[in-house]
Amino acid sequence: MIPNATSLADLPPRAPFAIPITIIREAGITAWLVEDQSVPVVSINWAWPGGSAFDPEGFEGEMAMAAAMLTEGAGDMDNIAFADAARDAGVSVSFGVGRDSSSGSLRALKEALPEALRLARLAMSEPRLEASALDRLRARAIVGARQALETPRGIASRAFWAASYPGHPAGRSASPESFAAIPAASLVDALTRQFRREGLWLAAAGAITEAELRATIRELFGTLPRGTPPALPWLPPLAQFGRLVVEKAAPQSAVQFGQDGPLPTDPMWEATQVALRVLGGGGFSSRLMRLIREERGLTYGISAGMDVLFGRGIVVGQASTDNRNAGEMLALLQQSWAAMANDGPTDEELSEAVDFLNGSLPLSFSDSRRIAGGLLSLMQNNRTPEWLAGRPARLSALTRADVAAAARRFGRSPLSVVVAGQPIGL
Amino acid sequence: MSDLTRRTALATALSLPAVTRSPALAQPPPAERPLFGAKTWHLANGLRVVLAENHRAPVVAHYVFYGAGSGEDPHALSGIAHFMEHMMFKGSGNVPSGAFSRLVAREGGQDNAFTSRDTTAYFQHVESSRLALMMRMEADRMAGPAFNPDEFEAERNVVLEERRQVVESQPRSLFRESFDAAMWGRQHWRGRPIIGWPEEIRAISRQDMLDFFAARYAPANAVLLLAGDVTEARARELAEATYGLVPARPHTGRDRATLPPAPTQERLEVREPATREAVFTRAIAAPSMTWGEKRHAHPLEILAHILGGGTGSRLHRALVQGGLAVSASAGYDGETAGASIFSLSATLRAPTTREALEAAVMAEVAKLLDAGVTEAETARAIRQQTAGALLALDGIGAAPRMLGGTLTLGLPIEEAEYWPARLRAVTTAQVNEAARAVLPNTLATTGWLLPA
Repeated sequence: MIPNATSLADLPPRAPFAIPITIIREAGITAWLVEDQSVPVVSINWAWPGGSAFDPEGFEGEMAMAAAMLTEGAGDMDNIAFADAARDAGVSVSFGVGRDSSSGSLRALKEALPEALRLARLAMSEPRLEASALDRLRARAIVGARQALETPRGIASRAFWAASYPGHPAGRSASPESFAAIPAASLVDALTRQFRREGLWLAAAGAITEAELRATIRELFGTLPRGTPPALPWLPPLAQFGRLVVEKAAPQSAVQFGQDGPLPTDPMWEATQVALRVLGGGGFSSRLMRLIREERGLTYGISAGMDVLFGRGIVVGQASTDNRNAGEMLALLQQSWAAMANDGPTDEELSEAVDFLNGSLPLSFSDSRRIAGGLLSLMQNNRTPEWLAGRPARLSALTRADVAAAARRFGRSPLSVVVAGQPIGL
Repeated sequence: MSDLTRRTALATALSLPAVTRSPALAQPPPAERPLFGAKTWHLANGLRVVLAENHRAPVVAHYVFYGAGSGEDPHALSGIAHFMEHMMFKGSGNVPSGAFSRLVAREGGQDNAFTSRDTTAYFQHVESSRLALMMRMEADRMAGPAFNPDEFEAERNVVLEERRQVVESQPRSLFRESFDAAMWGRQHWRGRPIIGWPEEIRAISRQDMLDFFAARYAPANAVLLLAGDVTEARARELAEATYGLVPARPHTGRDRATLPPAPTQERLEVREPATREAVFTRAIAAPSMTWGEKRHAHPLEILAHILGGGTGSRLHRALVQGGLAVSASAGYDGETAGASIFSLSATLRAPTTREALEAAVMAEVAKLLDAGVTEAETARAIRQQTAGALLALDGIGAAPRMLGGTLTLGLPIEEAEYWPARLRAVTTAQVNEAARAVLPNTLATTGWLLPA
């Protein structure tokens, strides 16, 4: 046995967290940079608002398919030549589409950065959009959409968004049918609407200087159409639909639940984060994990957290359990949720959650990809470097009453819950 | 729970391979620097310590790898290595149950563990000033976990829920499990699922777990890995003051020698109502870096890339570009204890028939055996496989995962530190020799997962 195994007595006080962010403005684009020449790797992430928000009804997946086509051949390279160029140089260039934004990213060794930039620029400005490549991509997308519906988790997710935002693009998901219906001609329009010279966020980290980043920005975006993508439509609060059960033959029920959250500008934003950390944050220490997993063995994992969608905060969580236990697990979830709304955290829970959130900041910024990704998320929520620098002090200043006040929001509306599986007793 | 090897460590640590470097096949490989430049030494109790120092950020990764995974599960007790990984969080001599993860979180860290066929590993990523606490707690459970009897049944249910979530609710995972059993046998170490058969998970007793711990979790069967912001002097001091207090114990080594002479089933067809797509797979028993004709291991990695390593590979060109399949791939991982597999897989694209798809895959294999791979293909595969090597420096998790995976197989640390050079040394003749030695092996199974 190791003496004083859990003693904190010899631990020095933590060094204050600091990360040197440089903000530059180039060609109408604001970019955040954390330069670090200690490892010869560069990561750059960027995003525009949009994503699948403008996919026409019945053609869900249009933007995702258009973005996927960017790396299926560009300039004088067909799909194989493009993939070979990236892999020969050891660079990754990728594009992704979410419910409210489209993103691009690259990661390369410093010596391969010029090649990564060439490929990313060609992908965005000269995609070939060949019929044969689209045909293969469409077949793969259809299979992917069908496979996503093979599991209760996939079914629950789809049903959750549909019920949460009826009649809004945020509620629609791509399907085998919508992928099959997307006309080839519409891809060009989707790309032209989204991939603009302005209106994007960009963050870079690693072995890249300010001057190099300025040149990079000009190269990457200088040939795109001028202007910004259209503004996102307004998103209503997450619908209160109570409990929805979707029948799916499976031994386990997948549960997804949610609730409207505070706006990112709400002064209680961080207090709400603390409350959610206590209630359902990652790892093994949250109330939900202790009560439902550790004490009763009802689930492999249950968690809840805050996300931002169309500029609104939403609270979402998920879990799964044996069909026979679905009723018991949901009852425990509801009880825990109500208890937090009524009473807030204990003093000990508050201090543990704040210690975690502050102490984990250095880990969130420990390599170039995490830094670029983390900075981009901050930019997308309209945060500033000062906001990040001041976060530890603000979190430390939160009182139990502050967090309890923020947590009362959890009781203001019932949780909206989707269960997919063959739950017994619901 | 996940399978962590050099390949998968890279896949999780990196998005794609990197580095432009022309292969110089006719010349000896260039003088290489080690990837991580790790230092290594042993404590008196036999524990190996590895340090990959890097002061880029004030964070440190702390890993303990044990040289025992699900492949060591005793007969009819499949799942014990994995179940035990869960129970290792339920307290030890001086650490109350649940306190481990709670303290890690309180100090801003992340902790978890994983079980593969070959290893079980526990890790924390923390701010470097918190390392001492992590090492005390981890050493305490190396000295003797409590396997708290009051929590045994609840945790068994957690494992069964994990099984329902990651296997039983996913038709393709369930098929993979049946496939392995069909090839190797339900009780062979390669034919059993890492998480275990459900009836055997239910049968594991606390005494079984204590026995497994005693047999496999000795300091001399473990590797401690530190990566990040810690000096050698401090690492030595902390290792002595924590793990150095764990008494030496004898342990049982691996036994992966026996292989079935033939597959239990040469063909497996499963019709599954939840499945929408027909998936073809074929696995062929293959040597590894620790078993059989070990010299084929690196050439087989190159072969897998040429045959089915993504866009532009032979299977991709013939099946995906050719319109027969939506995806097609080949895979091989030589960093395993005991025999490995060379695998082929493809997802059918309508209106292709099963017969046509399977025939097309096997035609590519026959073509390869007949005419061999070309110098250009070998050069391309080596270039693309090794390009990502240095990206592993960007992040604190890649070094301990790659080094830990290699060392717990009993391989020298140089296999991980110099793996790009080892791959670059592979010749076209070696690839063709490996292909002809392995692909015709009759210890092989073909499987189809089919919509009902």
